Amino acid sequence: MRKYFSKEKWQYMLYTISHPMDGYYWIRHAERGSVPLAILLVVIFSCCFTANRLLASFVVNDLDPRTVDSLYELLGVLAFYLLLCVSNWSITCLMNGEGRMKDIAVAVGYGTVPISFVLVLATIVSQFIADDEQAFYTLLLVVGIAYGVIMILVGIMQVHNYTLGKTLLTLFLTVLAMLIIIFLLLLLSNLLGMVVNFFRSVYTELIFRT
Amino acid sequence: MKRFVRLRKIISLCLAAFVLALAAGESAYASELPYDTYNYDYREYIHFTPAAYVPSGTVKGTDLTWNGEPIGRFVTPQDLCKDADGSIYIADTGNNRIVILDRSMTKVLNVITTFDNNGTEDSFKQPYGVAVSEKNLIYVADSQNNRVVVLSQDGKVVQIVENPQSESLEEGYVFVPLKVVVDYADRIYVIAQNMFEGIMVFESNGTFSSFFGTIEVEISLWEKFWKRLASKEERAKQALFIPTEFTGIDIDPDGFVYASNIDPKGIQGVRRLNPRGEDVIKKGENKNVGGDLWINGTTEYAGPSQFTDVVYRGNGIYSCLDRKRGRIFTYDHEGNLLYVFGGLGTQTGTFSMPVAVEDIGGMLVVLDATRGEIIFFSETEYGRLINEAVSLRYDGDEAEAVALWQRVLELDENNELANTGIGKAYLTAGDYVQAMKYLKLGMSRDHYSVAYRRYRNAMLTQNASYFLTGILLLIVVVTVVKKVRKKKKGGALDA
Repeated sequence: MRKYFSKEKWQYMLYTISHPMDGYYWIRHAERGSVPLAILLVVIFSCCFTANRLLASFVVNDLDPRTVDSLYELLGVLAFYLLLCVSNWSITCLMNGEGRMKDIAVAVGYGTVPISFVLVLATIVSQFIADDEQAFYTLLLVVGIAYGVIMILVGIMQVHNYTLGKTLLTLFLTVLAMLIIIFLLLLLSNLLGMVVNFFRSVYTELIFRT
Repeated sequence: MKRFVRLRKIISLCLAAFVLALAAGESAYASELPYDTYNYDYREYIHFTPAAYVPSGTVKGTDLTWNGEPIGRFVTPQDLCKDADGSIYIADTGNNRIVILDRSMTKVLNVITTFDNNGTEDSFKQPYGVAVSEKNLIYVADSQNNRVVVLSQDGKVVQIVENPQSESLEEGYVFVPLKVVVDYADRIYVIAQNMFEGIMVFESNGTFSSFFGTIEVEISLWEKFWKRLASKEERAKQALFIPTEFTGIDIDPDGFVYASNIDPKGIQGVRRLNPRGEDVIKKGENKNVGGDLWINGTTEYAGPSQFTDVVYRGNGIYSCLDRKRGRIFTYDHEGNLLYVFGGLGTQTGTFSMPVAVEDIGGMLVVLDATRGEIIFFSETEYGRLINEAVSLRYDGDEAEAVALWQRVLELDENNELANTGIGKAYLTAGDYVQAMKYLKLGMSRDHYSVAYRRYRNAMLTQNASYFLTGILLLIVVVTVVKKVRKKKKGGALDA
């Protein structure tokens, strides 16, 4: 455990945020990243996301708090994270990407940090603004999210040693792969349901006959 | 053993008391009204409220006598209206007559079956709508005779409006007036059958002047796209895009016409038309003046409300009658829904086929065509408080309305209108903390923002000295710490 969450790992994570190009390069080539840390960061991101939705001031927040469920959102974020990593890995495997699964996980996980930070910051700022100052709030969020997205983009580019164009192409294909995976999962669950149903009806039939 | 028996007695007594308490609780909660009164909150959830109006009686034609003889039951009456004295005029369509009742609705003042048309005796044929002008003239939409008859109170013809002439009317157009109102200048507004161009306006001398308040047809991009793809034969078979007709009409003292129509989308079932015929209605927080918001479903009972009549009730308040589910929707001048009540059914206080609604001083009356019955609703404390508070706000007396809104909150503690009303009053009074609390409960974002900004400015100016001192202290501390550190480093080098 200590190995994954050591002080160096944390410091290197912060270094990666300020120097994404360099940081991600050494994550791939010198084992400076940590997958458990990345997963923890994604969990933190999910918490920040829910906190923003629940706690952002009444002025900027039009959400019905009854529709926000933190556990459900945590599961959703983790599932999305897993799906993104798996489909990106499967695409880049076919397209000469150099990155391993764990590099992709770290690249995406570390990229959520600026977004988490800005969600918390915006939530605090939202407590002090009035209606016509919403632009500050939005600007803050947009900047943070843009930085996070750029970090993820750079991360994927660096761990696979791609050009920018190829990264964008693989990301597009990644989205397609995600859709295919979701489709297959739905199909699988549907078919499994049918099988289960079949055995259940056989069982009920047997019960009623004896 | 004795103790055991006593224990059993006590237990059975407790149980009996418990059962009784349960039963009592149930009977206390069961509503005796045949309908629910509700409203939609900011999140568009249904929010049940105390009853705003309760049924207080009915009048049938068979209850009434005139000149000692019973007048018989109403047959598919279609319209009713009141004059300045509060007398009620009923268009008894199936009996081809107009019945005039007094304020209390127990005495018949007049029954007009025939009238004197310049010396000859004339009668109505399916009179569908009736209105009374400020000069106490009776305007009758005599639908199957294709005319609007204007009568004086003693039953003499003053004017007959028929056969409108205009270039914008089609060749061979047959004028079938259904509903009619008159404004302060005796201009006549007529809803005619199959007239999709809008309300027909006649000058006081009876000449047709123009159409008014045309409902624009909205064709979505998607529908346009399909039109483009379809062949000529297919297009001929498709439904035509025809604007909806107006169904009911009323006019306020300033000459603004309130007209209801059936909106298939359920967003706008009523229009407020200014003298130029433009719709100037306000749609309120939910962007909707079309009745129910929960209209999805596949049953016959689902679907948008169908407003069949509208009544202007003074102080910007108007009520619309929905024939789909038999409900009455009341809105204020800002388009906020005040309360919804009523329902279809056979109990007292419900309708079979509601066609017209009128306000007679604190009471709402609804005309039911199938039953030939007039149903009264009298306002409860809750309804009266809301009506009065909204009226005060309409006049600009927010502060005076506060006491009323406080009482509304006692009856219905989540009432958003009441919370907003109190919040606004606090805002004007300068109590921003209270204003923020109530405006937040009332989900009034813009007013809350105003209150918050003022509160923030006040806090900043009050505490400016602390802030400035704090910043100054911070700067001093930082520079001192820096200097000390530098010195230490320097000392280390020396050693």
